[in-house]
Formats: sequence, C-alpha cells, structure tokens
Amino acid sequence: MKSVEQILAGILEGVIACAFLAIFILVVIQVFLRYVLNSAIPGANEVVIILFVYTTALGGALAAGRGEHIALTFATDLLPEAIRKVMARISFLLVAWINGVMVWFSLHWIGVTGDYLMPSTGLTRSVTQISIPFGCGLAGIYCLLKAVAPLDPQPDAQS
Amino acid sequence: MTILLLSLVVFLVIGVPVAYSLGLSTFTYFVLVQPDIMHVLPQRLFSGMESYALIALPLFILMGQVMNKGGITARLIQFCLMFVGRFRGGLGLVNVGSSMLFGGISGSSTSDTASIGSVLIPEMEKRGYPKPFAAGLTVASSTMGMIIPPSIPMILFAVTAQVSVGKLFLGGIIPGILVGVLQLMLTLWLAHQRGYPKESSSFSLALLVRSLYILVMPLFVVGTVVLGIATATESAGLGVLYTILVGFFLTKHLTWREFYKVVRTSILTSAKIMMIIAFSQVFIWVLALERVPETVAALVEGKDLAPFAMLLVIISIILLAGTFIDVSPAILLLTPVFLPAIINAGISPIVFGVILVTGLAVGACTPPVGNCLNVCAIVSGLKIGTIFRAALPFLLANVVTLALIALFPQLVLWLPNLLMGK
Repeated sequence: MKSVEQILAGILEGVIACAFLAIFILVVIQVFLRYVLNSAIPGANEVVIILFVYTTALGGALAAGRGEHIALTFATDLLPEAIRKVMARISFLLVAWINGVMVWFSLHWIGVTGDYLMPSTGLTRSVTQISIPFGCGLAGIYCLLKAVAPLDPQPDAQS
Repeated sequence: MTILLLSLVVFLVIGVPVAYSLGLSTFTYFVLVQPDIMHVLPQRLFSGMESYALIALPLFILMGQVMNKGGITARLIQFCLMFVGRFRGGLGLVNVGSSMLFGGISGSSTSDTASIGSVLIPEMEKRGYPKPFAAGLTVASSTMGMIIPPSIPMILFAVTAQVSVGKLFLGGIIPGILVGVLQLMLTLWLAHQRGYPKESSSFSLALLVRSLYILVMPLFVVGTVVLGIATATESAGLGVLYTILVGFFLTKHLTWREFYKVVRTSILTSAKIMMIIAFSQVFIWVLALERVPETVAALVEGKDLAPFAMLLVIISIILLAGTFIDVSPAILLLTPVFLPAIINAGISPIVFGVILVTGLAVGACTPPVGNCLNVCAIVSGLKIGTIFRAALPFLLANVVTLALIALFPQLVLWLPNLLMGK
C-alpha cells in the first residue's frame, strides 16, 4: 500500500513540477513577445492560471497527505506522546472531512457554472473548476489513509 | 461570529493545519448559523486560487531557492567582509550586512536564516563569538528578508489589500535599511563592550565586479515592477530566468538535478501557502458577511484615536498575533479586519502593509510559532529559548523602526511617492 502511495506521490510531484515549469516558461515568453515581437500568445494568461490552480490543488493534496501543511503545534507538543498520536489522527480525520465537504459542494457548483466559457481560450470553466474536487478528493483520501495507518513516532506537522 | 472564531481557535490548538482550520471553522459556522448558503464554500475557495497576481508567489520562492543553491551566499559574505570586516565585531557586521543584501535577493527570512546561518554561525563561533550571540544575530537580521524588497509577504499583502506591489516594495526599502543600520550599530556597540575580534580584509576590485551581477538582482526585479515594465508575476519570472543564468553559467554551482529539486520544493511550499490563501477567502467572506471589518473600524473610530496612537495599538496587536500565528495566515486574517479602519483614519494602506510585514517579521523570530527561530535551532543546534534571548536586543531594532514609522509615515511613503506618484 505504502509503495503505491509513494509511486502516486512521485508521479504527482513530477506533474506539478512540470506544470510549474510551464507556468514559468509561459510567463517569460509573454514578456519577451510583448517587448521584442510586439505580440502575445492568445489565452496564455488563462492557461497559466489553469496550471497554477492545478499545481495548488494537487500540491495542497500532497502536503495534506504528508502532514506538511503549516500547523500550530505548540499546544499539542506539550502533550504526552500517546495523546499526541490520537490528536494527529483526529486532525487527519478532520482534514479528510472538510475535503470531503468540498468535493460534495464543488460537484454541485461545477454542475451549475461549469459550462460557462473562458474568454480567451474558449475552454469551459469546468476544465479549471474540476481541480477543486480532484485536489480535495485526493487530499481527503490521503488523510483518511493516514488516519487509519500507524503513525510515525514524531509528528510531522510543522509549526 | 463567536462560533466562527471559537471553532477556529479550537481547530488550531488541536493541531489541525491552518488552511483546514479556516475551512472547518467556516463549515461549522455555516452548519450552525447559515446552512442555506453553504454552497459558496468551493466557489470562494476557487476564487482564492484563481489569481494571476499570486503566481508571483511560487516564482519568487523559486528565485530565492535558485539563488540559494547557486552559490551566492559565500560571495555575499566575502563582499560584506571587504567593507566591514576590519571593524571590531567584523563578522557580526558581515552577518547583518549579508542579510540586508540576501533579503533583497531572496525575499524570504527563513532562506536567509538557513543560508547565512549555516555559513556564519560556525565561522563566528570559531573566531570566539558566543554561539548564542551568532545565532541570535542571524535570526534577528533575517527579518530584513521580509522587509527589503522583493518580499514574498509584501506580495501577499498587496494582493489581499489590492494595493500596488511596486509602491509596497519601495515603501519597504527605508524601513528595511533602518532596521539594518540599527542592528549594525548595536552589533558594533556590543562588539566594543565585549571585545569581539576584527577581521583582516582588503578591498578587491575583482571581487566587487564578481559580486555586481548578484547585487543588481534586487534592483532589476524591483525596477521592472516600479517602472511598469512588468507585473510582479512577470518580474518574478524574469528574476527566476536571471538566477538560472547566474547559477548555471556564472557561479556554476547549480546542477539540473538541484534545479529540479528546487522547482519541486518551491511549488510545494507555494501550494501550502496558497491553500491557506484559498481557505482564508472563505473565512474572510464570512467575516465580511458578519460585518466584522466595519465593526472593528467603528470601534476604532469610536475611540477617537490620533493616527499615531491608532498605529501603536495596531502594532501591539500585530506583534502579539505574530507570536502565535505564522506570517502568511496573519497577513490574510489581519489585513481585511484592520484595513477599513486604517483607510477611514486617513492612513495609507502602504504604511499599514509595511508595518504589518515588519511586525510579523518579529513574530517569525519569537516562540512559540517562529519559523526563523525553528530554522536557526536546526542550523545551530541551540535551543529555541537560548536563540530567542540572544536575538531579543536586535529585534528591538524592528520595534524601534515600527514606532518610527508610526510617528513618521513618510519613512515609508517618501520613496513610493517620489518615484511612482501619490
């Protein structure tokens, strides 16, 4: 199970890194085109935003699964180890829950507004919007797995 | 309202990540108070992510990381040594000077603490400085990373408050330098009192020339924004391109493997901040729905405080909040609450932005939630309490600067008004 999780995480990281590089390249090319060739790639800014939303949603999911999101641990750090582990499980369950809520409501929201077209690319809004249930769903599954799996001795949330 | 804030505190205290604590407290509020509008949750979350301006965030993080791996720290230290090494407490002065320059390049205090600390703390210890002094000075001087532009927290504030990034960047220059100068003076005084050593250093034109391409970096990034050549996002993109060229072809410290690693780290770091931004949009929406900013503004106006007194009160709140909340969530939560009151009192949002960032920079160096402190504890191997006690006198430089800004807002406004107009 763990190796499947690691392979999936590795693939996700690669996808996110490639998307980020694409953002960087598009941003630089846009400036170059504007000042040197006095032109622009139609819809490039929209594509950059789409990629950015996906990198955030997927990156957020990865960080959630690894317990790497910014958390205030000064209070839980004072607790005995055993209670801390229980708190970590509760925290993962709560994160899984709120992500589940987001998936549920976002599917309804996409159903209502997803068919609108984006002005430059002409793509439907759902192309970008789907990143929310996708990212939240992934984060929810990751956190559920963490909540039921044996926890590491050290809490991995950072303060 | 009470439900929203109380549940937020509970979720934060039990260790739920900040981003999800914001989401869970809003969800609790919706369930108990306004169940019929719960469908706005994903919509607000999405609006927090869908921003072209915020793309500057991962790009600036990447720029700092590439610079870090590109071997600039050693060169910056040599550069500073050339000018201030000959004075008593030379390495301490180099520590502050390098942070001023590094802060202007990386835009991040934690990067500054990690890179300068890992080189200078052992070196200072070897030369007879007490280790806590070296660590404390490193932490305190790293606060300039947030204040001197380009600054990642300033971009966050600019997007949240809808103010000009260029003006904010320019507004941070004088306060940032002021913090640096005060810390330099204090270091010099302590060095004389305690008899810290001088370093042998001589002027080298070759080193000056070799350092130039690093030193022009902040000018290039800030300049393109201020002159309207590029947006903050584009300027960050150009900054990344510049650092890649420097790292691969000039310093030759950067490898493709290292580059891929920093790309991955940067986007994941950014995603963590972006998730807080996204969920804070949901939270802030509820704050607006409950008319919290208006209530705070009315409360402040009711006290009939002079702008200076009002800023002092806000500074106190920022310093207090900064000790418990990390920089990004603090900016996202405090900005919408205080901004209407600030504007109603006739205070410039740029002044508030610089005060907020300068105040929260102190928070990054104070326990229990001090990221710079945590990084320095790892780098130096010292306890957080020991480093904090040593950093405290130097952090006073930030507090003095904050008081001076409250008293003379022109310290912030003069440069942006001069170069970009009112």
